[in-house]
Amino acid sequence: MDISKYGVPFFVVVAVVSLLVASPALSRVLVLPRTEFFSELWLLGPNGMAENYPYNISSGQNYGLYLGIGNQLGYCAYYVVEVKFRNETQSAPTSFGTLEPSSLPSLFNITAFVADEGTWQIPLTFSFAYGVNQTPLEVEFSSLTLNGAVLSLQGDSSAWNATESRFYGDLVFELWLFNSSTSVFQYHERFVDLQLNMTV
Amino acid sequence: MKFVFVVLVLCALLWSASFVAVCHGVSEADAASAVANADQTVIGCYQSAANAEQAGANVSALLVTLDDAGLLLSEAHLALLNGSFDSASALAGQCVAMLEGFNGTADGLKSSALQAGFVDFWVNIVGSAVGAVAVLVGGFLVWRFLKGKKSVKAGAV
Repeated sequence: MDISKYGVPFFVVVAVVSLLVASPALSRVLVLPRTEFFSELWLLGPNGMAENYPYNISSGQNYGLYLGIGNQLGYCAYYVVEVKFRNETQSAPTSFGTLEPSSLPSLFNITAFVADEGTWQIPLTFSFAYGVNQTPLEVEFSSLTLNGAVLSLQGDSSAWNATESRFYGDLVFELWLFNSSTSVFQYHERFVDLQLNMTV
Repeated sequence: MKFVFVVLVLCALLWSASFVAVCHGVSEADAASAVANADQTVIGCYQSAANAEQAGANVSALLVTLDDAGLLLSEAHLALLNGSFDSASALAGQCVAMLEGFNGTADGLKSSALQAGFVDFWVNIVGSAVGAVAVLVGGFLVWRFLKGKKSVKAGAV
């Protein structure tokens, strides 16, 4: 028997077996490195879908939302979501150019610890307590109740917007990230907000 | 007579009051200090969890505990802001108590993960690389042996 003619199939089999044996090591080496590191922040409606967001608000009525965070930073992250409420004339976080948070004080901080490539989501229930002032025509807020925590809105008001025929309110959720090297929270340049019409 | 009776009753009341434990409210400074302590505890525990995760440990159970502690911490901050110092101090205390033993657990997970990583490195990376080379060399040697056998046979003929 001439063994030389079996050389190619023999070495092909040897190479395939060798690749199979090397596959655990190759699977670690031949992986494209992650190049994009970011966080996601989202707000969903009461059914966990991007629909049916509360808009027309009545005083004392409860409304539901879902707030979620996705972590693609490459490490387990410590986030704080600062909850703020503003009217049309108050400071808003910016979406373009220099990304800055609203200068308003946080009403409540929601903490979240999210594993790398993990997501985190909680249901939120909120209600507003407010009354109407006739002169000048405006809504005067007294409190926002968020997941059972009563947050004072004393001194906050929203004037009647005749153009849009509404009393405007904006519930803002800003994402802040704990920086381990400086040991401070930094604005993570992401926010979601819910624009509301305070009905009377 | 009536006056003496009233005085005696008042004295008795004052004397009995000395048996009642004095109840102090928590001051703003104490509450702020308790909340700051809870803040630092949460940060320390987060860093332990992050280190464990970096070593390859599954830290999902640790993160659930941290989330619960974080909620208490948020409520403590809110209570402090609203001037409910007793409540703020109590919530901060609960937060710290919840994280008792957390660093030990995180360190344990980190050690296990490092050990598992070491075994994984030797078995899956070094072992499989060496195995692959051994298969190639073995294949070559087998081929040489078979070819040699054939040559000997040819020579004998």
